[in-house]
Amino acid sequence: MDSLARRLEALIFIATRPVPLEELALHCGCSDEEVRGGLAELEAEFVADRHGLELVLVAGGATFRVTKECEAAVRSLAGARQPDDLSPALLEALAVVAYLQPTTRSEVAQVRGVSSEWALAALEERGLVEVAGRADTPGAPILYRTTDRFLKLFGLANAEDLPALGKFALEASDVEEIRGRLMSNAARRST
Amino acid sequence: MRSIDLDLDLDIFHGPFDLLVTLILKEEIDLWEVRVSRIIAEYVVKLADSGEFDLEATSSFVVLVASLLEMKSRLLAAAPGLEDDEEFEADEAGEELLAALVRYGQFKRAGEALSVRWADHAARVYRQAPIPTRFLRAESLGQALSGEKLADALEPLLREPPAPDVSHITDLAITLVEELRRLRSLLVRNGGFTFSAVAPRGRLEKAVTFFALLELHNRGEVELRQARPFAEIAVTALTVAEALAVAG
Repeated sequence: MDSLARRLEALIFIATRPVPLEELALHCGCSDEEVRGGLAELEAEFVADRHGLELVLVAGGATFRVTKECEAAVRSLAGARQPDDLSPALLEALAVVAYLQPTTRSEVAQVRGVSSEWALAALEERGLVEVAGRADTPGAPILYRTTDRFLKLFGLANAEDLPALGKFALEASDVEEIRGRLMSNAARRST
Repeated sequence: MRSIDLDLDLDIFHGPFDLLVTLILKEEIDLWEVRVSRIIAEYVVKLADSGEFDLEATSSFVVLVASLLEMKSRLLAAAPGLEDDEEFEADEAGEELLAALVRYGQFKRAGEALSVRWADHAARVYRQAPIPTRFLRAESLGQALSGEKLADALEPLLREPPAPDVSHITDLAITLVEELRRLRSLLVRNGGFTFSAVAPRGRLEKAVTFFALLELHNRGEVELRQARPFAEIAVTALTVAEALAVAG
């Protein structure tokens, strides 16, 4: 590895959080482009079968994480717990915040069709969403956005890394099925 | 309509059910936050515990809960700019509801995709140890912050803040007691009226008038008739004999 790659390795090792490219460039006294080149060399060095660590870009910066092969040994030493799984309701609410952020509680409730006070409180408690100020509308409702912890736990470099929302649009056949169910419910009620 | 004897213990409200309905009508509690299923569950438990079944009280409860659900479903399909007293065309409401369900379906799928990412990434292990202290950068404040500067900075925080100006907040123009008095005098004079003829213009005042009508009906003083949902409400005074006949 060349000198820059070694310095990047040292910085990323000593940091306790993902380090943004701009910070790496600042402390190495080089350009963002040079840092990208150095990170590419580092990534090639830290492939899974050569080291117990791998280089990843998450939560807006570069960091090392333990390879899957070595996770069990690390958990045995460090006693690190796996985070509790998220329920479908929490994942739905989280998806709304992730794609519409910053967003209000009532907007989340409007999309889901149910009150989302509990879901947002649970997500905030788990560090996946945070308050992002207040909306400039009557009542000044609280705005919510995702956190860096959300990016880390979902393996995302930034929120733009999420797949486009359009990818999850329902097919025409699904829409017609829903329409059919609504019509049959309405017909059943009117008889 | 009989008043509902039900004390609720919800996340956002503790107290009698009738008060919850009043606060919802006054928009002091957001209907989105109210879990109607929980209200129904508490009422069912109360019925089971009491061992008694009051048909009229239960009917009143069903009517009120159905109204809450209808109000909530209208919120789901609410179109911006639509006045509250305009009637939804059935097709329009259906299309609004379909659009809402399709949008929900899209986010449900997005949630499922997040679930897959969670399974792949959430359990991964990152460095968690703090930076060794010998690498921490110690900053000396030195002359940057003297005692006098610190005192100057704290002085505004220790001062009592001015009392907020509430002169722009107006009190409610009418109270329930005054409205009951007004409606009773109208009934004595005219024997009856329609809701739209007596309801004030303001939303809050209109809700107080509606609640006063419910109270008069609850006491057996009036009969309320409505040809179809959201149509005009006709109010007719009942004599004592008629009230007893209805109650009996």
